Amino acid sequence: MRVGNKTLLFFLIWFATLVGGKYVGATVNDSLSFALEAAVDYVKNGFTVREDYWGGDLGKNEQKVIPQQLFRGLEYWFWVGTDTDGSKVSVHIYDKDGKLVDSESFQKTRYSGARVIPKRTGTYYVIVTVESAKEERSSWGLAYGYR
Amino acid sequence: MALPVKGQTKQKIDPSKIAGDIIDDVIVPVPSEVFMVLDKLGQPDWKSELPDIIRSRFTGDRAHVALLLGTVIADGFVAVQAQNSERVKETGREVLRLAAAIGVRESVVRRSKSIIDAADNKDWRGIRSELDKALLEVRTAMQELNDEKLAQLVSLGGWLRGTEVVTSIIEKNYSADRAELLNQPLLIDYFSSQLHSMPPGLEASSFVVSIKSGLKKIRPLIGDGNDVISKESVIKIHEITSELVVSILATEE
Repeated sequence: MRVGNKTLLFFLIWFATLVGGKYVGATVNDSLSFALEAAVDYVKNGFTVREDYWGGDLGKNEQKVIPQQLFRGLEYWFWVGTDTDGSKVSVHIYDKDGKLVDSESFQKTRYSGARVIPKRTGTYYVIVTVESAKEERSSWGLAYGYR
Repeated sequence: MALPVKGQTKQKIDPSKIAGDIIDDVIVPVPSEVFMVLDKLGQPDWKSELPDIIRSRFTGDRAHVALLLGTVIADGFVAVQAQNSERVKETGREVLRLAAAIGVRESVVRRSKSIIDAADNKDWRGIRSELDKALLEVRTAMQELNDEKLAQLVSLGGWLRGTEVVTSIIEKNYSADRAELLNQPLLIDYFSSQLHSMPPGLEASSFVVSIKSGLKKIRPLIGDGNDVISKESVIKIHEITSELVVSILATEE
């Protein structure tokens, strides 16, 4: 990672630590740092990362469902990270009828992401899943950006 | 909430199995998301959407102050669209005044200055970001004071003012595409559920009572997300939100 990216990442994480979302705790902040690491390249490409974050912990194969209002005309990326060793987390987006609407997604060791370009303005479901884990519980942190 | 996963991403889920018990976890969009969409709807006459109100009057009703805060921050976004730096600066000062009234002044002092500085520099994109942060900081400060419900009223105040403006713009140049921006049943259900679980002190507020009633009228006009929102519905939503915003924003003599 280049110096510029590191600086940006530092500020994003600092901000998350300062004002984070409703579930933020120490390990969630560490998970968020991985989610925000995933976000860095997208910020360079014009995405605004919302400075509010969501997180918690889940068991293996458990999911957290977060309903969200998305707008046609915007493009979104969602990123989820984990700081739990040996865990993999994923994020995917479904429309109000329950259909998968990711137009792109990726999975790395510590984080994953999903892109959605809503065809309609309305209700969507952001679903975070612990895909694999060695520990009983896995921490996760979610962020999203739009442009 | 646990849905089965078999190692592959499910192509389809059953929303009826997940919708009921997660309403408290809704992500409410920040105003800049909505205004970014509006940017793509051409160049409406934003100046006409800015009222003459400079300072709002408030009493000891904390629900009222919270609603005012959200309304004033949303007004700041309208001022950005109208590129009215004086009104943006007024927003920065007003946010500080209202935050002080509700006991969270310290959390927004620096943000208020940032808004005013950005307005001086006519940094419109920067102002949007500062206003988003002001909203977040006010809400976070309230949550830290265990005023989660009050924080939700800040969001609701912003949503009401935002919807009033958006419906005004759509009404003046109606199209089904534009009206789709109002397809927000999730948010209306969320705000309604929050209002119905207010603690007694806030629930008794006449503002809370009026808004509950207003949201109940708006909800059927939005539909279930499958239908086109008609021009008549847009006009009705505008009338309802305008009436509520006027009751929140009362000018000082």
